[in-house]
Amino acid sequence: MRQLHAVNTPGRLAGLFVGQKATDAMALVPELVTAEAEPEADAQALTELADWCVRFSPAVALDPPDSLFLDVTGVAHLWGGEAALAGDLRARLGANGLPVRVAVADTPGAAWALAHQGEGCEIIVPPGEQIAWMARLRPSALRLEPQAAAQIERLGLKMLAQLFALPRAPLARRFGADALTRIDEALGRSKAALTFRRPPNPWFARLAFAEPISQLEDLQRVSHDVAARLCARLDQEGQGARRFELAFHRLDGKAHALNIGLALAARDPARIARLFAPKLETVDPGFGIEVVTLAASAVEPTAGRQIRLDSLLDAGREDALAPLIDRLANRLGEERVWKTVPVESHVPERSTAHAPPLSPPPPAARWDLGTPRPLRLFRKPEPLEGVISLIPDDPPRQFEWRRRLHRIRRAEGPERIGDEWWRIDIEDVRTDRVRDYYRVEDQDGARFWVFREGLYAPGEPARWFLHGLFG
Amino acid sequence: MTRYAELQATTNFSFLRGASHPDELVITAAALGIEAVGIVDHNSLAGVVRAWRAIKDLKGGDEPTTRALTGCRLNFADGTPSLLCYPSDREAYGRLTRLLTVGQRRSEKGECELHWEDFLQHAQGQLALVVPPDRLDEAFERRLGQMAGELRGRVWLAASRGYGARDLHRLSQLAGLAAASGAPMVATNDVLYHGPERRSLQDVVTCIRECCTIHEAGLRLAANAERHLKPPAEMARLFARFPGAVERSAEIADRIGFDLGQLRYEYPDEPVPPGKTAIQHLRDLTWAGAEWRFSKGMGEKEKQTIARELALIEECDYPNYFLTVHDIVRWARGQGILCQGRGSAANSLVCFCLGVTAVDPTKEDHDLLFSRFISKNRGEPPDIDVDFEHERREEVMQYVYDRYGRHRAAIVATVIHYRPRMAIRQVGKALGLTEDVTAALAGTVWGSWGDMSPDEYIAQVGLDPKAPEIRRATALAQELLRFPRHLSQHVGGYVLTQRRLDETVPIGNAAMADRTFIEWDKDDIDALGLMKVDVLALGMLTALRKSFEMLPPLKDGTVITDIAHIPPEDPKVYEMLCAADSVGVFQVESRAQMSMLPRLKPMKFYDLVIEVAIVRPGPIQGDMVHPYLKRRDGIEPVVFPAPAPEHGPLDELKGVLGKTMGVPLFQEQAMRLAIEAAKFSDDDADGLRRAMATFRNMGTVGDYGAQFVAGMTRRGYDPEFAQRCFKQIEGFGSYGFPESHAISFALLVYASAWVKKWWPDAFCASLLNSQPMGFYQPAQLVRDAREHGVEVRPPDVAASVWDCTLEPVEGRRLRAVRLGLRQVKGLRETDVETLVELRDSGVRTIEGFARGLPHRTLELLAEADAFAGLGISRREALWAVKGLAGTFREEDQAPLLARQSLQEVQVELPLMSQPMNVAEDYRTTRLSLKAHPCSFFREELVKAGAVPAQALKTLRDRRWVSVGGLVLVRQRPGTAKGVVFMTLEDETGIANVVVWKDAFEANRRLVMGASFVVVHGQIQSEAGVIHLVAKSFTDLSHLHATMKDDDPDRDPRRKPSARLVSSRDFH
Repeated sequence: MRQLHAVNTPGRLAGLFVGQKATDAMALVPELVTAEAEPEADAQALTELADWCVRFSPAVALDPPDSLFLDVTGVAHLWGGEAALAGDLRARLGANGLPVRVAVADTPGAAWALAHQGEGCEIIVPPGEQIAWMARLRPSALRLEPQAAAQIERLGLKMLAQLFALPRAPLARRFGADALTRIDEALGRSKAALTFRRPPNPWFARLAFAEPISQLEDLQRVSHDVAARLCARLDQEGQGARRFELAFHRLDGKAHALNIGLALAARDPARIARLFAPKLETVDPGFGIEVVTLAASAVEPTAGRQIRLDSLLDAGREDALAPLIDRLANRLGEERVWKTVPVESHVPERSTAHAPPLSPPPPAARWDLGTPRPLRLFRKPEPLEGVISLIPDDPPRQFEWRRRLHRIRRAEGPERIGDEWWRIDIEDVRTDRVRDYYRVEDQDGARFWVFREGLYAPGEPARWFLHGLFG
Repeated sequence: MTRYAELQATTNFSFLRGASHPDELVITAAALGIEAVGIVDHNSLAGVVRAWRAIKDLKGGDEPTTRALTGCRLNFADGTPSLLCYPSDREAYGRLTRLLTVGQRRSEKGECELHWEDFLQHAQGQLALVVPPDRLDEAFERRLGQMAGELRGRVWLAASRGYGARDLHRLSQLAGLAAASGAPMVATNDVLYHGPERRSLQDVVTCIRECCTIHEAGLRLAANAERHLKPPAEMARLFARFPGAVERSAEIADRIGFDLGQLRYEYPDEPVPPGKTAIQHLRDLTWAGAEWRFSKGMGEKEKQTIARELALIEECDYPNYFLTVHDIVRWARGQGILCQGRGSAANSLVCFCLGVTAVDPTKEDHDLLFSRFISKNRGEPPDIDVDFEHERREEVMQYVYDRYGRHRAAIVATVIHYRPRMAIRQVGKALGLTEDVTAALAGTVWGSWGDMSPDEYIAQVGLDPKAPEIRRATALAQELLRFPRHLSQHVGGYVLTQRRLDETVPIGNAAMADRTFIEWDKDDIDALGLMKVDVLALGMLTALRKSFEMLPPLKDGTVITDIAHIPPEDPKVYEMLCAADSVGVFQVESRAQMSMLPRLKPMKFYDLVIEVAIVRPGPIQGDMVHPYLKRRDGIEPVVFPAPAPEHGPLDELKGVLGKTMGVPLFQEQAMRLAIEAAKFSDDDADGLRRAMATFRNMGTVGDYGAQFVAGMTRRGYDPEFAQRCFKQIEGFGSYGFPESHAISFALLVYASAWVKKWWPDAFCASLLNSQPMGFYQPAQLVRDAREHGVEVRPPDVAASVWDCTLEPVEGRRLRAVRLGLRQVKGLRETDVETLVELRDSGVRTIEGFARGLPHRTLELLAEADAFAGLGISRREALWAVKGLAGTFREEDQAPLLARQSLQEVQVELPLMSQPMNVAEDYRTTRLSLKAHPCSFFREELVKAGAVPAQALKTLRDRRWVSVGGLVLVRQRPGTAKGVVFMTLEDETGIANVVVWKDAFEANRRLVMGASFVVVHGQIQSEAGVIHLVAKSFTDLSHLHATMKDDDPDRDPRRKPSARLVSSRDFH
């Protein structure tokens, strides 16, 4: 059964709710636009958000599906207080279209409870006052099992104040030691253990100079040095990168950045420096450069690829080819260096595509050996003149192409290929929109790929084209 | 002229491969002059009957020009090349079906695993065409040689020209292989569709099959549209270089002597004792039954009727059929399972005597001419469906298997077709539309049988109906509609045979364990004249049997055990029905039926027959309801539509329409109009009847429309009347309801109404004990019982068992209904049995029950307030139960702790408010005996201007008024386009609301979503039926939340969920 996983505000106002059957929701709001729930992507997004939050505090803990804990102990003064920090956090996320509720309290439990059930979107609990602030929240604010929370309410204990007032033993008997732990954690009677997430180590290296530099040779030297520093770390972890950004930070605070891309992930500092070398001329050092940084992206493991014994030859070839391709691509532009890969389509024009020169072939696509295709396929078929052929689906006897007459000695076909009907209006789809292809050989042994357009219709002149050359 | 037979035609019963219906293929083949079409679906014979029947229908009187050949493409699991297998005679056909049965029985539902060895064991008499693989290699060459050796003289090599790049090269190779192996080459076109225009659809089903979009499909799609039927001359041209290949196909067809028409039906002989003929046995049983039914003596009329019916049954050779039905019914009766037959043949005196029905057709007014329902020239078996108690039907089904064996009894298939939502969803996905777009498109289809989405709806959901992607998707979905999607088992139709059933049709596994079903559906079975017995389930029979067990004997001492025991024609019962007091009564409890009852005013049994039949799409669409009611009320004279004098006697329809005052109401009457008034030939009438039966699937009824109307008009009938009659026929098509069924149903109406009238206590308890069934929820059944003076007591651990029971009340005729613990959501019957045992052994405390019952069970009981009988309130009980959990969980390890617990500190829990108590009742048992939820909100209702529902009865017609209540039911029937019916309930009664299209469109969300609402509108009263026609609404749904909350000033943002009851919605 499909059901609603999340609902936005207009949806809620229209009477939709989480857990509602999708068919009921559609009956209620026929113009409802839905998207598939992607819990994994949500979790991923929460993780990314946690990494982003590191700018507020180094200690960020995840609480899926929708919460984050930030330990702001000793951090808040940088913003001028907890309220200012919370305000800044909310404003930044809000500017990115992320509505957020923030609560700051002595304990993670109290902060969670107030963030989820408190009044307002920004709650700052003065130190030591969480009992009073939590008194009117519902038991579910304690992060209990939903069923336990509902049963506590059913007993008439609808506010935490009532729960806090109960003797502890009977409560523990009925709802387990967990419930007590949660209460104690929220009130600060015991310490909650949060698992904080360490942000991933960014691939980044930095060199600072005592004396500002501005000579081209110096730029070349430092670009190699900084690359060596980053590549050492890449090497250590068996990683390589396909993109590098080299930035020169000037005395006046401005920075100039250069980018290079590689066909294969690499971590050879000399090669990286070489690829940057031609671009260094464009750097205006101004009054001097005091810092250079190098950041790597598209980082991926390279060790596995290189040490496989059976691929040694192949790897050697690629390693030899890769620097050339990189040089070409960085000179001519990436889009100008490509190789052809097969695309599964019956229509010849669509059966190839451009791909990055060293990318592995897509696993699904293949050349179909049962259907011979010319080595050279014209981008646009060229019309033929003076075609003589028997009908309806016999190959041509002779034709004229580029003012030369070709008499056909051998022929094979027709191979009938229909158009891709899904690319045209359904009303215009017709069964006679086909091409009949023939492989033909002329008196000199030259081989051609020709086709007649459309089904044979008596009385209508046939239209012939040449679409490619064999050999 | 070249002779040609297409021996490789794949239909859409090779699911997601073929892109044409079997009938499209054979009809096109006939038009092209192809001698024969061989239907070869993948490991299946599911489509062959349809092809065969289409040819049969096509022929009319002329000599056949095209044959539909019965064959099958066998795909092997062991790498053997596929075979096109054609049985040459009846015996070989039996071997083919057995082979497929072997393959299907060893596989999952819908699969068929075959090995070459299996084929060899069944190979005698089969003609086989080997389908070469894409790549011809040595392995194939070797395999072909072997196969040719093993099937000497009966094996060919199938070759087709699909306009591939190297066709002729491949054909030459094949010709070489054929010559070398001794399997001659034969031309086929490997057909997937009847005409090239189906290529798009074939591409789409390929994408659906391969789970990819059309953009990703690539070489999985065909390059061209060549796999359609081609005329012999074209085939001859394509194979000009291979002389004989095309003609050979016709020679093979000549060698196929088998035709589905040769399946001759043989009845199972179990029910006939040795030494007797079937008719002798039937005679004996019938006369013995007559003694039993007419214990007070039988009149001459009855004797004559029986004799006449028996003669007819003998003449048509149906005694076995009646004996088989009798055999099943007799067994069920022996087990105390209530059952009731219906259908044309069921309303015979023979069936009455055999105990198949309780309808005495000789009773005055019934006037059921049995002979009319068995048509001698139709050559089809009579139709009897038998309904059994829904809770015990499975026992009957297992009996059938036991008695006839799995090799002779199997369930008929139901072909599941693409419906609009599914079609648009899958086509959209295949065309690469995103999920939200296809979902929105599918969402525009209201109701599963709706027409495809009109443009305005598409526009309404924010899509552009003119956008090419949308047009493409809707057009192709429209084409895919009515394609078979998969086979499923029929609800209860059995086919029974004398010889092995698997020699007639392949039998496969159903998804359900212990079930097997055949590949053909009931239309196929009908077409071939096989015998089918419908073993169906009916909830009301369960309820009636349960109520009989609670009824005291009648005044004359009769103990009621059968429907026939109920005193007939009780005026008090009709009085009750005339007042539309029919909650819980079979069939006539729906909104529409309830508003019809006071207008129709049933006074005798036959009125109930009409009542049951008149509120149906047929009479409604034909606009026959009002004319009938007017004539009944004497407002309009009873006249019979008549032809012009020169075309026939003026009273030619008197015999047809006599019983219904000149207005056609039943399906049979509509059929008779086609014959008598529109002068349909037997064949045409037969075609129309069949089209009606399959209208929902194929939509072919319309083909007869012009003929019908023209036929009647030509003979001088009023064209408008003819038009209406045909509309009615179309209505019957979408939900056919013949008189014979209406009679059987009417008897159940009467029986259930009689119980309700005299013993509402037993009626209420038995309905509750048979849930889920019927139209109303337990809350309404309980409410209705209380309004009829029945005391209802809550479920209680001190008094209840699983089922609802009756408890005597001092000084009163009616007993009190004690609700059973089955009303408590989540409880298990076995736990309740344990509870009752503990109680019987003297246990009276929560601690005591805890020793035998799971903790969760006690929690459920506590939350349902079931300990109230022990003087423990809901909250106290839950607190106590929760407190026990630790005790018993840890008792074994730490008895010390357990003892400590007995002295735990007393905790004062807040008292539960009454509204919350009611809300908790609803949550745990779906009803409350304490108060109606609306009673807590009367103040708000008054503020919103609402009067109590009860007051509607006393207010004058056309008055503007407001009523508020819980929404019990929402209906949007297909016959009333755009109209929504709502049923509201407040603490005083029920209010029926009609929302016309305008009001609905303006308040759609509220109408579809609100659970507590005030409706402002105008009273419309007709013949005692009161409706409120809605103009506007006030949504009070949020108020329910306050019931669940006994703390009034809580943060409103965190209110508990508002829904108290969920309405039953029909859309």
